[in-house]
Amino acid sequence: MSDFDHPPRPLVQRLGAILWPSFFAAGVASMVFFAAIDPAELAEISALPYWPESRELGYTLGFLLFWTATAASSTFTWILLRPASRFNRRPG
Amino acid sequence: MAAPQGTVEYESIYKSEGKVYPREVSGTFQRLRTAAVFWLLGMFYLFPWLSWDGRQAVLFDLPARRFYIFGLTFWPQDFIFLALLLIMAGLALFFFTALAGRLWCGYACPQTVWTEVFLWIERLFEGDRHQRMKLDRAPWTWKKFLRKGGKHLAWVLFAAWTGFTFVGFFTPIRELGGRLFSLEWGFWESFWAVFYGFATWGNAGFLREQVCKYMCPYARFQGAMFDRDTLIIAYDPRRGEPRGPRRREIASVLERERGLLPLAAAQAAVAFHAWQTAQKGTARVTTGLADQPPPAAPKASRPEELGDCIDCTICIQVCPTGIDIRNGLQYECIACGACIDACDGVMDRLGYPRGLIRYTTQNLVEGGKTRILRPRVLIYGTLLLSLAGLWSYGVFHRSDLGLDVLRDRNALYRETLAGIENSYTLKISNRLTEPRRLRLSVEGAEGVIVVEPAEAFTVGPDRVERLPATLRAAHGTLHGVQQIRLVLTDLERPEHRAVRETRFFAPEEPLR
Repeated sequence: MSDFDHPPRPLVQRLGAILWPSFFAAGVASMVFFAAIDPAELAEISALPYWPESRELGYTLGFLLFWTATAASSTFTWILLRPASRFNRRPG
Repeated sequence: MAAPQGTVEYESIYKSEGKVYPREVSGTFQRLRTAAVFWLLGMFYLFPWLSWDGRQAVLFDLPARRFYIFGLTFWPQDFIFLALLLIMAGLALFFFTALAGRLWCGYACPQTVWTEVFLWIERLFEGDRHQRMKLDRAPWTWKKFLRKGGKHLAWVLFAAWTGFTFVGFFTPIRELGGRLFSLEWGFWESFWAVFYGFATWGNAGFLREQVCKYMCPYARFQGAMFDRDTLIIAYDPRRGEPRGPRRREIASVLERERGLLPLAAAQAAVAFHAWQTAQKGTARVTTGLADQPPPAAPKASRPEELGDCIDCTICIQVCPTGIDIRNGLQYECIACGACIDACDGVMDRLGYPRGLIRYTTQNLVEGGKTRILRPRVLIYGTLLLSLAGLWSYGVFHRSDLGLDVLRDRNALYRETLAGIENSYTLKISNRLTEPRRLRLSVEGAEGVIVVEPAEAFTVGPDRVERLPATLRAAHGTLHGVQQIRLVLTDLERPEHRAVRETRFFAPEEPLR
């Protein structure tokens, strides 16, 4: 086992690596989801009382929900891949 | 602050990359790329302005859930065609990558195409590569301010027009343009116009090759489709090495005694130079070659031993990603062919045959044979052709009368004086551009009749209609569950029928 510890990546790279793939995945998921389901019909489902009636808002909200989920997953992956040294850092 | 023990200092690995100033180049591949820019961007900027049958020729009307592409109209239930189209696009990417490498990156990718236009604008205001580098180093003067300001203004205007055009694919563009100056755009129209314009401006003006190197997933996995017979852009080290300047009188190695180097010596030379470039930082090197200690490279003690490469570095200067193609195939290479054009120009001036850098395959460059038809090419090709056939057949044989049947969720059946009744909701879609008269009937079960809608009814053009329906069977004629078929017939066009299977419920037979 190598004791090489990768240095922290710049913030822009970290943000990019989490936000960009999740944006892409959320785009694909929204496309598939809304091709099958009309956002206007979601408003009629009693389990979703606050779903907007306008289709434009429905698409947007759906996309943002997907993005939240995919970005959360990307963030989780990033946390799991962080090396131990980041958590065991000495104060100061 | 000291770095934690066992880590490498941050700066030592993440050296900020210098800006790439691609040198302008002319030649066959540059002309091809320019033609691709005009063709592809021409389609993008022109299509929303074309009309077809009185509406916009290409319109993705999301609020109405209809896609119009010239004569074709796509409904949400046609999603399968979009999915198939995406699968075909993926397969086409595999096919062309296996066959001819990164054609997509070099000629067709929006990133390449828009970057090319942004570079043209940059050249118009700031001049050629040398002038641009000088301008960036120079202190701020009025002249620099005007040149830089003019470029940025032109970039922003072009990007804004791009954002407007993009939204014009989703909202009728003429009407959108009419509402521009009265500031009557909706929030999402404005948002997407700004967002797309901003993305174009940032990606093509500033990020450029960084998008290909750090953001593009294709750049990372395209190597998996490559084999030794894939068309790549490569430097011929057997012909070029040892590189170096020379007096003009020496002929090309192809025309003098020395001939091509043995393969091992040529590869040693490439490894040596890759390592050296990495040390000097004159070009970007990320190949594994650069990690090796320098092997013994063949050296030219006499001019007659020199290869054809004069080490003029023009191939590096024209490279949009700032690599040295002479270090071998690298994932940064987007296969744009600029280095081929540049090197051919130098070879012409020296009176050498062209093709020191050329489209070739790994097998050919190593002196072997290459073949075009390999199993993977055949498999990708066959899959692609059959899917394309399936898709076209499907698209042109879509039914233009649609019927969906939802059973009433509340009750299985209802007992009335007249008999047992079942309720349904029909979702009827008429894809024709004219209204149609329809009648509902039942098949598959004796004694079941349509109570509602009893009469023929009309569904408007290009519409989806929801309609309650009721079926009835006389008491005692049916028991349990019956599979039935609901049939919708167009009265004026009896050959247009839509059929859906559903179930009819009646009370179980009483136990005797």
